[in-house]
Amino acid sequence: MADEVVMRDIDVLVIGGGLAGTFAAIKAREAGASHVVQVDKASVGRSGCSAFGAGVIRTFFPHEDDRDKAVYESVLRSHFLCDQERLAQHLDDVYDRIREMDSFGVEFEKTPDGKFDRILARGIYRRVMFRGGYRMMEAMRKAAIEKGVKIVDRVMVTDLLTDGGGAAGAIGFSTESGQVYEFYARSVVLATGRGFMKGRRPGHRNVTGDGMAAAYRAGVTLAGLDSAVPNTGPAHYDIGPGNNMYLGAGGLLVNSDGRRFAETFDPALKERTELGILSVACAIEARRGRTPLYLDMTGVEPEKVQRMKRVIPLPLMMYERAGVVVGDRFVKRIEWVIEGPSCNGGLLVNSRYETTLPGLFTCGDTMPAVGPEGQTALPGAMTSGARAGKYAAGYASEVPPPKISREQVAEFRERMFAPLKRRDGIEPDQVLLSVQEALMPYDVLVLRHEERLKAALQEVEGIWHGQVPLLQAYDPHYLRMAHEAGNIALVARMMLESALYRRESRESLREDYPYLDHTEWVKLVTVKRDGDRMELGAAPVPLERYKLRPPVEKVLHPLWRAAEKQGIIRVENGSVKWA
Amino acid sequence: MGVRKIDVSMCTGCAICVDYCPMDVLKMDGERQKAFIKYLRDCQSCFLCERVCPENAITCIPVYERRIPLPW
Repeated sequence: MADEVVMRDIDVLVIGGGLAGTFAAIKAREAGASHVVQVDKASVGRSGCSAFGAGVIRTFFPHEDDRDKAVYESVLRSHFLCDQERLAQHLDDVYDRIREMDSFGVEFEKTPDGKFDRILARGIYRRVMFRGGYRMMEAMRKAAIEKGVKIVDRVMVTDLLTDGGGAAGAIGFSTESGQVYEFYARSVVLATGRGFMKGRRPGHRNVTGDGMAAAYRAGVTLAGLDSAVPNTGPAHYDIGPGNNMYLGAGGLLVNSDGRRFAETFDPALKERTELGILSVACAIEARRGRTPLYLDMTGVEPEKVQRMKRVIPLPLMMYERAGVVVGDRFVKRIEWVIEGPSCNGGLLVNSRYETTLPGLFTCGDTMPAVGPEGQTALPGAMTSGARAGKYAAGYASEVPPPKISREQVAEFRERMFAPLKRRDGIEPDQVLLSVQEALMPYDVLVLRHEERLKAALQEVEGIWHGQVPLLQAYDPHYLRMAHEAGNIALVARMMLESALYRRESRESLREDYPYLDHTEWVKLVTVKRDGDRMELGAAPVPLERYKLRPPVEKVLHPLWRAAEKQGIIRVENGSVKWA
Repeated sequence: MGVRKIDVSMCTGCAICVDYCPMDVLKMDGERQKAFIKYLRDCQSCFLCERVCPENAITCIPVYERRIPLPW
């Protein structure tokens, strides 16, 4: 193996090449950090979810939209788990970030008089449209390079370096040469996204929770991993994403009887309802035996299909290849399922995007979201990334260069290359499929019960102890796959432990705890490493500081209540019984 | 299954597809100066390579390469 590459004197190291990381790197430079490095295991701008963004960005326009309503919707639909300070920052910033992206050369759909063209898709606020996620990110990558960000592609970070209780940089390897990369940094922004587990979502399969896993190993507190709000997508084609465009254009979701079902749970928005409601609605149809489900786009007007071809060119190409789109029409309905497995949540942060490790900042999907109308997905990546980069630069200007421990580097190098040294080990794919099989069933991911969560956890623990230590790699590419599989298994453990810890229904539904309990559970479930043990806990949402607070009561969860009203379930002895 | 074929007669060896691939599936054959599919199984079916190839030398299909469990 060739000698290592050591990059010293970094002010801000950004890990992750999506929209959040790229904004962080740009803003760190603008805030005066002279040495900003952005690293990605694939390449900056073509990595993560952003390059495959579904063509729309939910953007609050301060001069057109109702701010109180946006705050109310976000807080209510996050069931009060939303960080209302971060939400306020988001609403302050998001329009400016869009205009900035416009100035970087991101191509937005505009009206003839040059204004942003907005459409209604999921939720109550209109969204701006951009032409192709990969083209948007190409413009962002170019902007970062022009601002003087040093980009390092094809290096997978495996661990965070620490120095006396603070962040000191990171260590990783080149997926091409296998060379070790050591980054010594005054501050670090982790922007590696959430825990997609190489599941049913093309374009998202390199988002494997690597940053969450590295943070866990470094003793950083994570939060909100109990929340899984999966998207939906095709059952038999490997195509996605694009649901906002499909459902916004009038796509209908129907069950095996040909009946629309989303309206049972959201009579106003129907299919355009929030993901949390849509995935539950799909899961309940499955529980009632009304599958297969279908997305029916055959009634969508040709001009809307033409717009999809501009805004989400990749999925539309795929549907054409599959014979689903012919000319400017969808000619057949598509069998539709819940996608996943995935988990939300990330590193516990404050309103300065600081984690529990001094000098380690986070943003985008690597932190718990701030409610559906607020700081999530692409809009969240923009506003939180920009702020995290700026605050990280400020931090870096005040601290001395880190002291790197050679023992720590040696230990991490050993762990990094262990899969390459094994003989007769386990293929990453075996671990991957086993974890997916444990987590993917709708009655584990969406409709939960202690017994099923425990069975899934037992399965994943077995994989963690029995298979992950034996993962084998043949070359640097396989080494990446081996680390990804290990990280996926670790994130799956954290997710299931967190899900078991929350004994109520909130963002996810529990059959055995069907109540939404504002007296006890307006808290984020936290998880942290304590030696070999996983320490679970809860971080109360600081409602005393916020304007909007829930009534102090324990009520049947609104979605269970809707199901009860329809005669789908009844509640007996505090537990859900299916009709 | 994603990427199925790189037509070597059309490939000019510009390596754009290799640079773009987020999953490290494509590599360059240094001797012949052609791109090739090295790790087919890890393809995430994103169609990016087909889209960015200036010579239209790449063909993808939207079929799962790995078995991924269904939710029901």
